[in-house]
Amino acid sequence: MSFTVQPGAEPAPIRLEPSPEPWRANPAHRAVLAIVVGLLSSLFLLFILAPVVGLVASGGARGVTSLTADQELRASLALTAITATVATMLGMLGGTPIAYLLARRAFPGRALVAALMDLPLVIPHPVAGIALLLVLGRGSTVGGALYAAGLRVVGSPVGIVCAMLFVSAPLYVSAAREAFARVDARYESVARTLGDDAWRAFRRVTLPLSARGLTAAAVVMWARAVSEFGAIVILTYNPKVVSVLSYDRFTSYGLSETLPAAALLVLLALIPLAALRALRAGEARVR
Amino acid sequence: MIGLQLVNARAGEFRLHDVTFEVPQGSYGVVIGPAGSGKTTLLETIAGVVPVVSGKVMLGGEDLTHVPPERRRLGIVYQHAYLFPHLTVRENVEYGAASKLAAGDVSERFEVDALAGRPVASLSGGERQLVAIARALARRPEVLLLDEPFSALDPRTRTFARRQLRALYYERRFTVLQVTHDFGEAGLLGDVAIMLDRGKVVQKGDPQEVFRKPASAYIADFLGAENVFAGTARPIRAEPPDWGHASDSAFAQLPVAFTTDTLTFYALGDVVPGPAHAVIRAEEVSLSAEPAMSSVQNQFRGRIVEILPNGALSRVTVDVSGTPIVAAVTARSVRELGLVVGKEIVAGFKATAVHLC
Repeated sequence: MSFTVQPGAEPAPIRLEPSPEPWRANPAHRAVLAIVVGLLSSLFLLFILAPVVGLVASGGARGVTSLTADQELRASLALTAITATVATMLGMLGGTPIAYLLARRAFPGRALVAALMDLPLVIPHPVAGIALLLVLGRGSTVGGALYAAGLRVVGSPVGIVCAMLFVSAPLYVSAAREAFARVDARYESVARTLGDDAWRAFRRVTLPLSARGLTAAAVVMWARAVSEFGAIVILTYNPKVVSVLSYDRFTSYGLSETLPAAALLVLLALIPLAALRALRAGEARVR
Repeated sequence: MIGLQLVNARAGEFRLHDVTFEVPQGSYGVVIGPAGSGKTTLLETIAGVVPVVSGKVMLGGEDLTHVPPERRRLGIVYQHAYLFPHLTVRENVEYGAASKLAAGDVSERFEVDALAGRPVASLSGGERQLVAIARALARRPEVLLLDEPFSALDPRTRTFARRQLRALYYERRFTVLQVTHDFGEAGLLGDVAIMLDRGKVVQKGDPQEVFRKPASAYIADFLGAENVFAGTARPIRAEPPDWGHASDSAFAQLPVAFTTDTLTFYALGDVVPGPAHAVIRAEEVSLSAEPAMSSVQNQFRGRIVEILPNGALSRVTVDVSGTPIVAAVTARSVRELGLVVGKEIVAGFKATAVHLC
């Protein structure tokens, strides 16, 4: 194509076509988009909610009333709550320093430690149980030594605690690390220049400032420990925690007999979740 | 005394390279430098918060390089206060205080005693900063490190905080090292100025000296010198006609002809012939309608291209053969000389006002 410029000819005015309106600007398109997004979100929420509500509606009332008569269920609930609490306390004890180090210090192998802490999250839980069995079983060096010292791991509440600790502690470490990272390290620096040694600065400044985050991390760990099944069932079938009891009743007696125990387990997990939400709401108000 | 000898340190992206300087006992040092030059890292290294990789940190004559922060008898105030949010104002001030009496005394001086029971979250930015200064001083430190503590304050609070700090400084004579990017503040406060750039000390000495004789064109530019020219310096034997008016000290230096792309002017300096920079502060440039018969050796006719009123002084830019020369003149001079954009004018400066670097 070529253009010829005619001497004295007026250049043709350039006509600017209005650029096509982005589809988002069209109200009709926006309405359709809103409907699609709303529908998808509702369906997803329903997918999460329906089984839980159905379970609690079918077995919740029976579960609560059967607590007085069903001694096995009562004992199982207590065992679950106690072992989850012990596992959480142990997780806090061992996980807090690791979380602090990961949040604050640069050290050789930091990335490796972080990856190791995430490892239990990606291992299928029955596989985690088998791995624990290898290390803590009576035939292993550690398990044999513990057994000789009078501490039976497999088939005891200790095994339940170990399984819960293994699968849920990474959640605590991850959340605690976030909690520490949210507290600016300069608060500690100021405390140090004001006369505190490292431990005192941690205790007087970092710990109070990250307390909410650490509590939330512990709540998440507890809830995860309560709902654990795969690793526990390998390590300690008996005595039964609620998740194992539900499975046992389902395979032995069918769905109807399982519902009270299963519904109670859901309610038990809901308690820390509700507490966590309340905690976060409080945290948002403080900010 | 604060003394650093070849200190190398690293905090994240920031590094210090062979930092060496000394702020004598009871003196007020100022650290100047652009953002990212490592000013805060420097203070944190002195505080012991950032570990020293190599070199020595001396405080009060003692080598405290590997002594933890809590045993360095110093206080630090950050730009963002870092008050402990879970404590009240009183609890913050008393946190590391030498005594409750000391905390009460500084609280009163900085007028934060009225805020004592309030939670930190309820304080304004200025109030927070005053509390942070009081908290650091309540410990009665021998060395006070200040990281731009006044930058976020309103003018009235800034004047008040400076006055109170200065009064306490004269009273107790602790050693201060303050980071600032405001050279006016540095000149006002400091006995020693340390210019930092990319983790290195690029110049140190008396603040006025640093201000008048920057070691490089970069420093001159950073310190706000409007007239920085790149060119060639050439020592000359013949003296200009009015050379005799130069001061006695100036005679110790060689007369130099400095040539830019468009101008040649006279200077005094002990320079190696070759490429150099000439710095002339705007305050040293005078304007007149006709060439003046005075000690001013360099006079150039040009046209005014801009007049920027700035407080008591106006910045007048004169275009001389394509080279802008900025003069700082009083509003009265602007009126009396009838300075307007487009007017022809003579810009002049003494050879002694030219700093070569």
